[in-house]
Amino acid sequence: MNGLLRAAAVARKDLLVEWRGRQTTTATGMVALLMILLLGFVIGSEPGRAAAVLWVALGFAAVVGIPRITQSEVEQQALETLLLYPGSREHLYWGKSVALLIMLAALLVALLLLLGLLFSVDVWSHWGALLGVGMLGIVGLSAIGTLLAALVLHVRGRELLMPLLLLPLALPVVLGCVRLTEAVLADTPAGLWPVVLVAFDLVYLLVCPILFEVVMEEV
Amino acid sequence: MVSGLSRRFGAVWAVQDVTFMLPSRSVLLVVGPNGSGKTTLLRLLATALRPTSGGAAVFGLDLIRDADAIRGLAAFVGASPGVYDLLTAAENLRFAAAMYGRPHESVMPWLERTGLAEVAPHPVRTFSQGMRRRLALARAWLTTSRLLLLDEPYGGMDRDGNQIVDVMVAEARRRDGSVVLATHEWERGVKIADTVLALAAGRPADILPVDRFTASGLAPVTGGRR
Repeated sequence: MNGLLRAAAVARKDLLVEWRGRQTTTATGMVALLMILLLGFVIGSEPGRAAAVLWVALGFAAVVGIPRITQSEVEQQALETLLLYPGSREHLYWGKSVALLIMLAALLVALLLLLGLLFSVDVWSHWGALLGVGMLGIVGLSAIGTLLAALVLHVRGRELLMPLLLLPLALPVVLGCVRLTEAVLADTPAGLWPVVLVAFDLVYLLVCPILFEVVMEEV
Repeated sequence: MVSGLSRRFGAVWAVQDVTFMLPSRSVLLVVGPNGSGKTTLLRLLATALRPTSGGAAVFGLDLIRDADAIRGLAAFVGASPGVYDLLTAAENLRFAAAMYGRPHESVMPWLERTGLAEVAPHPVRTFSQGMRRRLALARAWLTTSRLLLLDEPYGGMDRDGNQIVDVMVAEARRRDGSVVLATHEWERGVKIADTVLALAAGRPADILPVDRFTASGLAPVTGGRR
């Protein structure tokens, strides 16, 4: 119970800081918007390409936004204080992960609306299924992203390292989301992709909190 | 009880072979010039760093094995306040209270005691350095920890701020707690300390009761500064 309260406090604090500073939201929003516009111009805005464009944009936005969830603690010189609170550091992981999940979910909703406009995709009639797929993808991205954000915290050139680590590890999630989103928009069977996505999410959710504690043991 | 506590960064020993005993209800003043290992010693005791060798028992708990339990007993105020600029003073303390498992506790008493009650709803980015340090002290105070670790607590403080530090230390002592206080302003520190530990290049140069401590004795280890 205490752990849940601590995780909730971290998530609330991160979201409050983000709401007032809007640093991560602005950065991820701008990258996603530019990716969608660029890809729309280059490969065309046919509805069949919407799924891939959506998840590529979200993936790159995540690369930009994810490091900020721990980097902001360093900039505020508050990381040591945060790590010295009593209790398991897994609680910090869950709090930061939930905050990231909420930020990415907000971005996903905005991107779905944009996609509906720019790619002439019928988002409204598939709203529930698209959000479901989106949540599966975002859970995976948040789970692995929170761990990697801690891992690259004190690494010089983390802007380079983050995509090198995140993109390969998030590839199964992104690929699964693209295929599932395509299936939802085309009203075709999804095959085994939901199972793949859920399996990767579960593995990340089980392993990443434990590794986070190890990574944060002495930063 | 701290025994042979050492910490190395690369090839450099920041703290080497520090041994001392700190009974309950006592205050240890750590003095020494820049780079003498004062902050590293406090960070080791706060479990922010792992010792390279040696160890310590904090209220019977092992510094390495029981680090998490020690974090529940110790409050560390470092040289940087570690507060969030975009949160208000009250929000910063509410977050700290929640992290100590007391999310519904009122933070106003602590803000009042540190003279920040009037600016409780203001964002910390509008605060001066001294006000930030007061907020960091309030955060440590609300934990009612048995071990207070204060790194340069008088830095950037006005006279009222200095008194807040002294009251906080006295209160910790009354609670059967212990205080380790590292400061350049040893003239203030000796007024509330029981024992003085002088560090030089990470090694303990001298440890003696405060009544036997003299400025002339300190001068060689502080590089001549009195």
